Parts: sequence; C-alpha cells; structure tokens
Amino acid sequence: MIAGARQGRLSGLRRLTALAMARDLRAFLVPGPEIARAHGLDIEAAGLLRVASPRHASVLLVVGAIPPALREAAAIVYAQMVRPRALFALGTQTLSPLPAADVGARLSQDELVEGVHRLRRAFAEGAFRPQVSSFDTPILHVRIQYTCPMHPEVIRDEPGTCPKCGMTLVPHETRAEGGSAHRHHHTMDSGTPGQAASEPGHSGHPGMDHAALVQYTCPMHPEVIRDEPGTCPKCGMTLVPHETRAEGGSVHRHHHHTMDSGTPGQAASEPGHSGHPGMDHSAMDHSAMDHGDGMFMSMVEVTRDLPRSIDGLAMDWIDVPFGPFFPGLPGGLQLMLTLDGDTVARSAAHAQRDMEPLLPAPDLDPVRFVSRLTEMDPLSPVSYRLLACRAMEDAAGAEVPDDIARGRVGALERERIASHLGWLALFAQQTGLGWLMGDAAGLQLHVRHADLKRLMGLRPALRTLTRRLRRTPLLKARTAGLGRLAPDPTLRGPVVRATGIGADARHTDSTCAMLGFTAITRTGGDALARLFVRVEEITHSLALIETAGVVERPEPADTGEASGAGEAVVETPRGEARLQLTLDKGRVSAARLGTPSMRHLELVGPLTEGQELGDALVAVGSLDLSPWGTGQ
Amino acid sequence: MISAQGLFIAFFGLAAVCFGVAVFRTSSMVRSALALLFSQTAIGAMFLSMQAEFLGVLQIMMMATEMSIMAIFMVMFMMDPGGLGKMEMTHQKGLSLISGSIAFMAAVAVAVFVDWGPGGASPPDAARQTRELGIELLGRSMLIFETAGITILTAMIAATAVAIQPLKRSGDR
Amino acid sequence: MTTLLVLLSLTVGVYLVAVLEAWTTNGHFRIAAPLCSALALLGRESIVPRKADRIFFEAAPILLLTSALLGAAVIPLAPALIVTDLATGALFLNAALAYVLVALLMAGWGPDGAYAMVGGWRFLGQVIAYAMLIVMPIMAVAMRAESLLTTEIVASQAGLWNILYQPLGFVLFFAAAMALAFVPPFDLPTAQGELAGGVEGEYTGVRLAVFRLGRMVLILTLAAATVTFYLGGWQGPLLPPWAWSAIKTLAVAATMLLAGRMMPRIREAHLLAWGWKLGIPLALLNIFLVGVLVLVLP
Repeated sequence: MIAGARQGRLSGLRRLTALAMARDLRAFLVPGPEIARAHGLDIEAAGLLRVASPRHASVLLVVGAIPPALREAAAIVYAQMVRPRALFALGTQTLSPLPAADVGARLSQDELVEGVHRLRRAFAEGAFRPQVSSFDTPILHVRIQYTCPMHPEVIRDEPGTCPKCGMTLVPHETRAEGGSAHRHHHTMDSGTPGQAASEPGHSGHPGMDHAALVQYTCPMHPEVIRDEPGTCPKCGMTLVPHETRAEGGSVHRHHHHTMDSGTPGQAASEPGHSGHPGMDHSAMDHSAMDHGDGMFMSMVEVTRDLPRSIDGLAMDWIDVPFGPFFPGLPGGLQLMLTLDGDTVARSAAHAQRDMEPLLPAPDLDPVRFVSRLTEMDPLSPVSYRLLACRAMEDAAGAEVPDDIARGRVGALERERIASHLGWLALFAQQTGLGWLMGDAAGLQLHVRHADLKRLMGLRPALRTLTRRLRRTPLLKARTAGLGRLAPDPTLRGPVVRATGIGADARHTDSTCAMLGFTAITRTGGDALARLFVRVEEITHSLALIETAGVVERPEPADTGEASGAGEAVVETPRGEARLQLTLDKGRVSAARLGTPSMRHLELVGPLTEGQELGDALVAVGSLDLSPWGTGQ
Repeated sequence: MISAQGLFIAFFGLAAVCFGVAVFRTSSMVRSALALLFSQTAIGAMFLSMQAEFLGVLQIMMMATEMSIMAIFMVMFMMDPGGLGKMEMTHQKGLSLISGSIAFMAAVAVAVFVDWGPGGASPPDAARQTRELGIELLGRSMLIFETAGITILTAMIAATAVAIQPLKRSGDR
Repeated sequence: MTTLLVLLSLTVGVYLVAVLEAWTTNGHFRIAAPLCSALALLGRESIVPRKADRIFFEAAPILLLTSALLGAAVIPLAPALIVTDLATGALFLNAALAYVLVALLMAGWGPDGAYAMVGGWRFLGQVIAYAMLIVMPIMAVAMRAESLLTTEIVASQAGLWNILYQPLGFVLFFAAAMALAFVPPFDLPTAQGELAGGVEGEYTGVRLAVFRLGRMVLILTLAAATVTFYLGGWQGPLLPPWAWSAIKTLAVAATMLLAGRMMPRIREAHLLAWGWKLGIPLALLNIFLVGVLVLVLP
C-alpha cells in the first residue's frame, strides 16, 4: 500500500495501468544522485529511472539522513509530485514533515534492489484506492497578506490602503509559518523607507526619501500634482508619490512576488503575470477615462530610472530558486538567483546548516569524534576521517609508521579519484553529456571501495574516459571562459590550481613527496581549466596509488591519556581542509574545522552575476561545492 | 448559392476578425500577440481557400515567426505583460476611432470601386502558379523585390548595430 | 485510405523512435518500454499549476502535435503514399513546423513558472538561429528539382542523391532540423540540467503524454523530411519503396538522437553566433554552388 495513491477503484484498465506504473518507476532523488553514488548505490541498476522534475516522478527516494531544512524542502517536492506517489527512504527513519516512508531500507545496494521490488508490488496493488487523503503540512500553507509595494514593511491581513503613502495594498502570498528568509523578496533588515529605497536595483526608486517633501502625481496624467495622497481628478486613479514623472510608472514594474520555496518546479513565481501591484484600477470606471488630450505614454520615458542589465534592457526581475535539489547542482546547495530575462542579475548561495555541532558533547571520545567527522561530509568521508586521525595524532604527539601512512595516502587518493568522477557525472548531467554521465557514475561506484588490484584493473577504463573526454566536441566551447577566477591564494583545491597557483596541502606531507607527488596546475582559471585539472588529477592519483602499493582506510591511533593541542591539514578532493583540536586526557575537548567549500561559496556571487543562466550554472558547478559540513 | 469555397473564405475571414478583436480585448501581452498571430494564420487560410496556395503558405509561415518575435518585444517593453493588473490598456481612443473608421472606409472604397479587371475563369493550378510567380519575381518585378530585400536587410543590420551596447566587460560574453 | 496508411506508418514510426530515444538515454533497448511508460503516464494525475494561463497551458501540447502531424502530411513515404501532395509541399512543411515555436512559447508562458518561461523564450532565440538554415537548404533542393512538390524532389534524386550533390546543404539542414526538434545538444527549452525540464517540466499526465507524443512525431517528421530532401526518399534497390523510406527515416532519427549524447548542450550565444555568422554564409554559398551545378550540368 502506498500513502500517496490516486483516487479510484482498482479494476480493469486501472489494474493494467497500475502494473505499468510498477514497471515504470521514476524516482526523484533527495538530496541528490551524487549522495547516492557516494553511498555506493546504483539507482539505475536497481531498476529506477531518474527524473529531473518532481512532476514527472512517482517515487521520492530519500538517501541517508537529511537535516530539517532539507526535509521541509523535500516535503514541498513531495507535494509537487503527481499521484500515485510513493516515498522510499534509505537509511533514515526521521522524515517529518514528510509522511512516513512507504518502503524503507538500509543504505546498501542489495537492500535497495529488494526495496524496489517491494515498491513495485506496492504500486501494482495500491496505486489506486477508493479513499485517499491529501498530503498537507503547515509548510505548504500559503497565507494571503496585503502589503504596499513601496513600503514592504506595511503588512495587513485585509485589503486597504497604506498608511504611509495611501496606495492600495496588494495581495501577497507568504508562508503560513516560518520558512526560510530568502522567500520574501522584501525581507529587509530595517523597516525604514529610506533604507529600503537605497537597496541597489531592488525596488526601482533609488534615492527616494519619504521623510522629505513628497508630491503625488497620477501616472497617466503627469500634470496633476498634489501634496497629499488622493485620487486623480481626471481618471480616478490613486495618486502615487514621485520624484520624477517616470518614477510613477517605473515603481510598479517590479512586482516582488517570490517563489514559494527552494525547490524546482514550483509554479509560484509570476514572471510576467502580475506586474502591477500598486495600481488598483478595479474600483475605477474606465469608460469615463478621458485620454483625449492625446498624451502618449512613452515606455522609454517610463522605464528611464529602472536598473538596467548588462545589455541595456530593463526587464522584470524574478527570484528563482535553484536548489536545494536542482538537477546538475550539488544536492543541499540552495542557490537563489534573481533573473533578469535569462541573465543572472544577482545571486545568493547558502549551504544547508549542519545537523549537529562538530562537538556534540564537550568531552568526546576520540573514536566517536572520528566517526562524527567521517559522517559529516558524505561526499568525501575518507578525507575527513584522515583529517581527524592526523589532528589527534598531532595533538597526542603520536607517530604513524610508514606503511600505515602510505596506506592512508592510497585511500585518500582513491577517494580523490572517486570524488572527481562523481563531479564529472554531475557536470555531465548539467550539460547533457549522456555518455559521460553513465561512464563516470559507473566508474565511481567501482572505484569507491576497490582494492589495489581492482584499481589497477580499472586503469584502462579511466584512460579511455579521459581520452574520450578530451576529444568531446564542443566541450571547450561549453566551458571556456566561464567562471573565470583571478589567481587568489585564499582559494583552494582544483579551483586555485586551475588559476596557476600550485597550492596543495600534499606538499607538506612527507609520504606524498616520497611517492613522487606533483601539484597539477593549469592557467586560465575558468571552468575548462578546472575540469582538466580534475581529470589530470585522476591520472596522477592513480599513479600515486600504484607507487604507494597499499590502500588502507585510516584508523585512529590509540591516543591513550595524552593532552595537547594539534592541527592537521588534508587535501580533500575539493581543497585543503584544516582541523585544529585540543585533547584533554585522551578526549577531544575543542575542535575547529575549516573546509574549502566555506571559502568557495563566496565565489558564487561574483561568478554568476551578469552571466546567462546556463553559463552561470556551469560556473557554479565547476566550483565543486560540497554543501555539507560548511556550517562550522 | 454559396459554394464550399465561399463558405471557407467566410469562415476564415470571420475567424480573422474574431482573433483580431481578441487582440484588443485581452490585457495579457502574450495572449494579444498570439491572437494576432492566429488572426494572420486565418488570413493565410483564406488565401488557401482562394486557391492562392503559395501566398497562403507563405503568409502562414512568416506570421508564425514574426508574431512570436513581436510577443517577446511586447513582454519586454510593456509594463504588465500578464495583464493581471487590470490596467486600462487603450489610449488615444478618439484619435484611433477616427483613423480606424477612415481606414475602413478607404479599404471598402478601394475594394468596391477599383476595377480589378475581369475575374479569371479559374485560377491555374498551384504548381503553375508557383512557377509563374517565380518568373514574375525574377523577371518583371526583380528590381522591386531585390531593392525591397536589400532595404530590409540593411534595416535589420542597422537596427541590430544601434541596439547593441558596447561591452563594458572584457572576456567571454 | 492513403491517409490511414500514412497514420499507421506514423504510429509505428513514432513508437520505434520512442524506443530509440529510450535506448539512447537509458542504454536499454526494450521494445515494450514506450507502451509501459505511456500507460503509466496516462494513469497519473493531470494537474494544472495554480496560476496557469489555462488557454496556453492546454493548447500548447495539442498545437505541437498538430504542427508535427501537418508537417508529416506532405512527406511521401512511397510514390503514391502521401496524404496531400501540395504543389508547395516543401514550403508547407516549413510553415507547419513554424508552429512548433508557437507551441513552445505557449508552453513556456502558460504554467507561470520561471523555468518554463526561460525555456520558452530561449527557444525563440534558438528559432532565430536555425530558421534560415532550414529554409535555405530547402531552396537549394527545390532549385535542383525545379519544383516544390516533395514527390518531384524525390524524383529529381534518381541519378544522384542530394546528400552527395549538395553536402553542405545537408549538413546545415541536419543541424537545423535537430535544433527545430530541440534534441540534445540543442535542447535549450527542455534542458534537464539547467531548467529542470523547462517547458516540459510542469506538464503531467495526459498533457505530458501529448507533449511527448508531439515531440516524437516532430523528430520523425524531420527525419522523414531529411530523407525526402537529401537521401532519395523511397529510392533503393531490392526492397519495396516503403521499406526503404522506413529504414532511412529510422536511421536518420537514430543518428539525430545519438549525436546528442556525444556533445554538451550548446550555449545560446554560440548557437546564435554560429548560426548567423557561419551558417547563413554557408547556406548562401550552397545555393550559389547548386545554382552553378544546375546550370552547368545537363
């Protein structure tokens, strides 16, 4: 039985349809396919087809535990799915506000396959039901409030007029409770009109100071000027405050309706449809309106003071969320783009907040601390595990024997290969390179837990992939020049190495130096350079593993009762991560973590602004952000 | 007796007028543009009913692309593309009423009073029409059409050149 | 009668194109896959977004299907197997396919969602890039055949197929046809990675089925058009004419679908730049070359 069944009686044709649905299961992955691959799950092999839009999905597949903010977004995605819909949870039980999972399983490929079988049976039997209940949670509720387009801090529950300027209040949809701050385009820190007006390009009336003497005019009849709000004697329209004549019309170009949440597919943004919040003409009798004076309303005049985009056109700006489950972007990354046509006017990126602090208890058992760090970032667990082990050994002053060090380097490099392959698969999904998506994903799953012999056996396949990638037509055209970054020593990982700076934490590691490590750099600093840095690093890591001769998952050494402060750096696949911790009699008492994605998140703004949408998304994707573990 | 052809012409003509009226009755920009598009398509269908096949197909083809481009320009430049603001979209009503009436009367006068020559017994079949049209275009009327074509091309290039803003940022764009 | 036969062959052709597309995207070649998916799709709810423009939202998939079908009406599958052999057949094909643009604009504007809207307007930009590259090669083809009748065009290739006579025109037409059918790498309006489905993303249930069906018919029509204009239509030894049409059309459709997997999605700016700065001069060159050949060769 599935909770999200469609209403109807299961008979005749419907039974056949239910069988067809059971065979044709389409899944929408939460938080994302890269997380599923990082856990070693092959979704397609289990028989599920992956889709990009929740509207086309019949199964919501939740992989692993996800934080509350993402669960809310997942609930909205679930509500967008069409019935019959099912919820399949892997490796997690806490799903609220989502409903209870229809099928649950643990995080393993076998359990996934078995779960899919159960799901098929559930669809075949329960796709249609006579009585169905609808899915409703508070997060989905929308409340209509009335606000003034010029004074967003004025919010009323019934229609009326703004006490400050006299304009008719317009309906505005907001979440009934809570919700993230980015929803409301008008959420400003201070409520004073002066400050609101100075927000760049936002409300379209720069420099307007309501405290000074304001005059009111009719947008249609500029010769009508009054000192108080009222109605125009010629046409009956409500007068608007203005500075210049053009202002009156331009104010209303920006309709600040936002999309309801950070998930794709929600049809709540009104790109062109509203547009006139301030002018409420419904109360007027237009037949009496006399335009016989032959005044021509010039659009160029009216839009004179609007913010212009880079190509000189003043278009409506709409807020569009890209994430947290956007196909092609890392799952959990909430990207809010303000689109000006199809150009990005502004952007803001957040990573989801971590579930627990780094140190849940003030005095933590070292083994628990190491597992805590391992689970923090599902995309590169081994790197953070190694980081924790090294930091603890540094604090305790313990030495690690040579062969263990080499085994650790082998594991780190193996994870680097897997992570870069995963990034290639994500890049392929974003740009529509079908063959790369399949090949890279398959190789990633093989590489993840491969031992040395297996890895060497995969070498020809990896070589074929890199060769084929270099020969892909149009790849250079797609990525060259996008997301260009100047050389900046504060950046890390492949991002900084693509700008020509050979910064790599492995330089400080004697074991790596012994194995013949060299940092791979390229000049250009654009998405193409970053792509090829990662591709070349795959080859180089494979060579390092071969020289090391052993691949061994890092295990924490016994620190006994040692006390002290320690620090360690590890070159994660995304860049250098640094951990400082203090040991107190063998237990961890304080810790501070710096991850590369924390720094790289700040790059999203400058990289995307002024770019066409597709280019902006490729630029963001090329940064290889990991939204996990950045909340420290 | 109204022939089938007459019926078709009347039907498409009526459709063209209805869509044309819809252009001004709706407040949504895109609906307005696409209503005009379908009005032109109906006119193209009228041409087809009048057995002017090439002209009809050409009309249908060109208007689709042209009106769609007009749609995006309307969306770009008009204040309320969705038409949800219930704003009065008509202006200069007096002037337009007068000029519209004059134009209508002029068109009717031209249609009724001009001597169009004897009506053809039956139009040549479509293949022959196309052939003769081609010969006419590249024979007697070549100068006119080529001049018109070059003029339009020049206008297009000039408009594009004027509209392009100088790039303020270096780099790939 | 011929209409029924053509519709039947269209249905079979569309089904096979759907199988081909599933094969190129998923890697599995399953004959029953489209039937299963179609049934499953029809069994799902059809929802309309809250603030959709109802007229556009409903009309778009139907218009897409209609325009593709009308385009297919002038394509000859065999010497006598054509729905309507219009004297301006080649031009009519173009006219019918111009409404694909209108359909996608409606589909973009209708749902009142940002992704769909960006997808819809992007397709307009795409049309500006490929529109000339569809018409000009057709002109060159008509020049050789000295007629716009599609049957005449096929007959004119009895000696030498147009793909060899005017290869430049073939390349341009093939690329423009892929852009018209918005198959990858030209899938700007329905980009999965950039727009989460774009114009297609808000459709569900029956409407989605009609939309997808329309797209399949469009791909088939364009493949059939390529065969008619450049690959000699039904001509070939041994097998009956309809068999050759079928084989060639499916081969072209398979090539169109496979080519997409090899390349990343093209950037809109590049599409427009290459279409106008490279494509149109080449198309004009093609017309010139064909003109010379037509006048010189007996």
